[in-house]
Amino acid sequence: MTCDQTSPEQPRTSPLPRRSVLAGGLATGAGGAALALAGPAAAAGPAGTGDAAAKPGNRVFRHGVASGDPLPGAVVLWTRVTPTPASRPGSGRGPKAEVTWEVATDRRFRRVVRRGKVSTGPWRDHTVKVDATGLDPETWYYYRFRHGRALSPVGRTRTAPAPNALPENLRFGVTSCANLQAGWFTAYRGLAQRDDLHAVLHLGDYLYEYPSGGYGYGSADQVIRPHEPEHEIVTLADYRQRHAQYKSDPDLQALHAKYPFIVVWDDHESTNDAWRDGAENHQPEAEGEWAARRNVAHRAYDEWMPVRLSGTAKLGDGTALFRRLRFGQLAELSLLDLRTYRDQQVAVPLLDPAVSDPDRTITGRRQMKWLKDSLDNRRAQWKLVGNPVMIAPVTFAALPKDLIRPVNDTVGLLPADGLPYNVDQWDGYTDDRRELFEHIRDRGVQDAVFLTGDIHSGWACELPYDNATYPIGDSAGVELVCTSVTSNNLKDILSAPPRTASLAVEAIIQANNRHVRYLNFDDHGFSVLDLTAQRAQMDWFVIGDRKSPDLTVSHTASWATATGTGKLTRVQDPVGA
Amino acid sequence: MGRHHDATVAGDPRVGGLDAVRTGRRTLLRAGAGGLVFSAAVAAAPAIAAPRGRRRVYVLVVDGCRPDEIDSGLTPTLKELRDGGLHFPRARSLPVMETIPNHVMMMTGVRPDRSGVPANSVYDAELGEVRYLDQESDVRVGTVIERLNRAGYRTGTVLSKEYLYGVFGERATHRWEPAPIVPISGHAPDVFTTEAALAMVEEFDPHLVFVNLGDIDRLGHMDLTGQSLQLARRAALISTDLQVQRFVTMLRDTGRWERSLVVVLADHSMDWSRPDRLITLTPVLEADPLLAGNTVIADNGGADLVYWTGPEAQRSAAVARIRELASAVDGVLAAHPRTKPRLRLGPEAGDVVVYCKAGWRFSDPDVFANPIPGNHGHPATERIPFFLAGGHPAVPKGVASSRRVATVDVAPTVASFLGVGAPRGGYDGRALL
Repeated sequence: MTCDQTSPEQPRTSPLPRRSVLAGGLATGAGGAALALAGPAAAAGPAGTGDAAAKPGNRVFRHGVASGDPLPGAVVLWTRVTPTPASRPGSGRGPKAEVTWEVATDRRFRRVVRRGKVSTGPWRDHTVKVDATGLDPETWYYYRFRHGRALSPVGRTRTAPAPNALPENLRFGVTSCANLQAGWFTAYRGLAQRDDLHAVLHLGDYLYEYPSGGYGYGSADQVIRPHEPEHEIVTLADYRQRHAQYKSDPDLQALHAKYPFIVVWDDHESTNDAWRDGAENHQPEAEGEWAARRNVAHRAYDEWMPVRLSGTAKLGDGTALFRRLRFGQLAELSLLDLRTYRDQQVAVPLLDPAVSDPDRTITGRRQMKWLKDSLDNRRAQWKLVGNPVMIAPVTFAALPKDLIRPVNDTVGLLPADGLPYNVDQWDGYTDDRRELFEHIRDRGVQDAVFLTGDIHSGWACELPYDNATYPIGDSAGVELVCTSVTSNNLKDILSAPPRTASLAVEAIIQANNRHVRYLNFDDHGFSVLDLTAQRAQMDWFVIGDRKSPDLTVSHTASWATATGTGKLTRVQDPVGA
Repeated sequence: MGRHHDATVAGDPRVGGLDAVRTGRRTLLRAGAGGLVFSAAVAAAPAIAAPRGRRRVYVLVVDGCRPDEIDSGLTPTLKELRDGGLHFPRARSLPVMETIPNHVMMMTGVRPDRSGVPANSVYDAELGEVRYLDQESDVRVGTVIERLNRAGYRTGTVLSKEYLYGVFGERATHRWEPAPIVPISGHAPDVFTTEAALAMVEEFDPHLVFVNLGDIDRLGHMDLTGQSLQLARRAALISTDLQVQRFVTMLRDTGRWERSLVVVLADHSMDWSRPDRLITLTPVLEADPLLAGNTVIADNGGADLVYWTGPEAQRSAAVARIRELASAVDGVLAAHPRTKPRLRLGPEAGDVVVYCKAGWRFSDPDVFANPIPGNHGHPATERIPFFLAGGHPAVPKGVASSRRVATVDVAPTVASFLGVGAPRGGYDGRALL
């Protein structure tokens, strides 16, 4: 990492030419840990039309390789083949294709430990997803695919520690909210440059459903890279094409190739503000039944993401996303689905008592019971929760009226007059939060850390049992929120320079929410979470202008929670500095 | 400060109160440094004559301390010890999360289904009354103290609470009888306890000294501001930390630190209830036709132990009925059958273990029985500080471990460090070094 410790006000940056980080190697199948990706053209154009298509392997494996959901003895491996030019994503065309896969302990594949063969074809959009088992825990592996004579790029992955292991640390890249139309995925490149992570946690909004021009860069929605297909995605073919476009981005490909991903979906993987029986951005009269649309969104997600739905890497055997991943005795990560089972958001938050109605839920009853079981001290020390929307209570009531709308636009609030809180978050389902926090308190649950995305801004919050008296009283844990890769935030909506107009808003919110210890409404980038038995630390890194394909990375803030405290303290240096 | 020989004469109900001492079994009373009086067993005399090894172990129990309080800024000495040694963030007290059973687990290394000591208060069917488990004979198994004695080591107990002094009785080679005792709390302030610990080490230099510092717990129990400012509790944290500092300074100044293992832990944590958040199960059970007149409750603050005293043939039905009725009471977290394997509680714990939620407390048999706001015994009070310090090379420095440890691990750790074996049937805990 080349970033230095800086003050939030004056970050020191490290400009890095785009191509300098994309060293050759992996694309040839022999590159090992170095990244092997072509230049930016591959990302800008339609899938497979860029430099990456120059070699036979890349023409066939033009969407890269990926791995995910690491277990102590298994990891999901993913790729897509394009066996014929007609086998375009979403086309439903092309032949059945045999694909072999290999897992080795060395980058040159001299020590292959697992291999197998699978069939794919148009029925699954020519995607390949394998659960490679029989692996050793806490081990780096290299993997690749072969179709005919074509070899895929080499990916690197890592298994989780054994259930009773005591790893010295665990380090995740943390990211969310990547809108391809709003800019370049240089934040992914910044993460891929690091060589000290164990996995990447993607907290949702991996892609966006909007049509070309529907949601772009800044207040004018400038399109930096147009969406494909051009229209809002509704059908299975649409979702497949959109996944394919995002998976053609070289920065995302590089990150996938270097680390296993652990993913959850939020709303934009289907459509905006989704809930159990509908979504804000779904019109049944024009777009058909919601259930049908969500089903195809989930189907495409299952095809294109290195994730186990309903506990397996198989397609069509269920779409349950919530699951646990254990990392020895140090941590367990519980990943939530907060879209599929939730009741509809209330329409008039200030007046509607339904926000605290015990009959309304954001998790669904089954997932809530499962989550409470996850937060058991017997399971692991750090109880991490991959939480797509914020759980910390936040009131915006003290904001000046003129600032309500842009803040609403940033954090996803609904109509703008005097809204006290964001009802798309847990603030709109307060009885579920009460139930969860009471469980934490009653059971003496320690070291609960909620890891969140969704709202395009960086936050570090304590989670008070009693908001009114805090900081007197205890906290249920902490919440660490990463900012967006590219999706607009407050300064973008205000068209203001960084760290100007937002500062006042942040100060007001923090003054009225004393448990909010850190707030940054301006920046885009990524975070790094590091866990040891002593503490959990999150570092926030910001990128330069999303409009530029060149990367600059700065460290802006670090906060840590010491074990057993449920409180946050500012830390001077990022891990690995 | 110290009690003169005369003051410890058998029959003093404040310091006697303890059958083992009252009966005067082979007890020697000896004035130590600073005029403090220690008792020593005749049987232990050969051990004094044949000391072995330079290693020393000091187990310091900061009674009732919560793990987050070590980070409060009020306990710099404890924090330094924790951060400079081997820290176990997942440490826990074991059911029932009370003082006596967890101290017994520390020294026996076995769970209550083997030791016979599951709670502070139990129903004694022979006596027909609820009583403290404060008799030496209440512990059914040997302790690491006795094993060390038999191996020729010297041992010492400096326990601030009367009932702890009672339950450990004459086991140690050297014993301090807590004094002066604070009325109601039944414990000696930490300044006196520490004075006794310092004197015992300087006078007799035991290989193992087991110390209970009771102020944090006792002032926590009585802290009416426990849910908010915690004024008394915070004062106790500062005070106790100073006493720990005195003890550590002595170890360093006398050259003992480099050959010592200092085990620091709490026996349980602490939770504060609102005045209106009382749970009284007795009238609920008495209103039931099956249970009326056939149950007894031993109130342990955050946990009620319910005993079926009716016909044996109806025990299963009664347990089911008790659980059903208790679970429906506001503030009850769970009502477990005592036989639930994970609890590992023996028949002394009755038939049903009822836990309260955080912020509540039990008050049985009536609402006046338990007026104190600070309580423990329920799962909210399970987490404890636990760390190994000391300058001996075997003690890791500046390390934390996610390993799940508990009070029952103390005895095997002490035994392993000093090189004595396990009891018949082995330990339930594990050595941590």
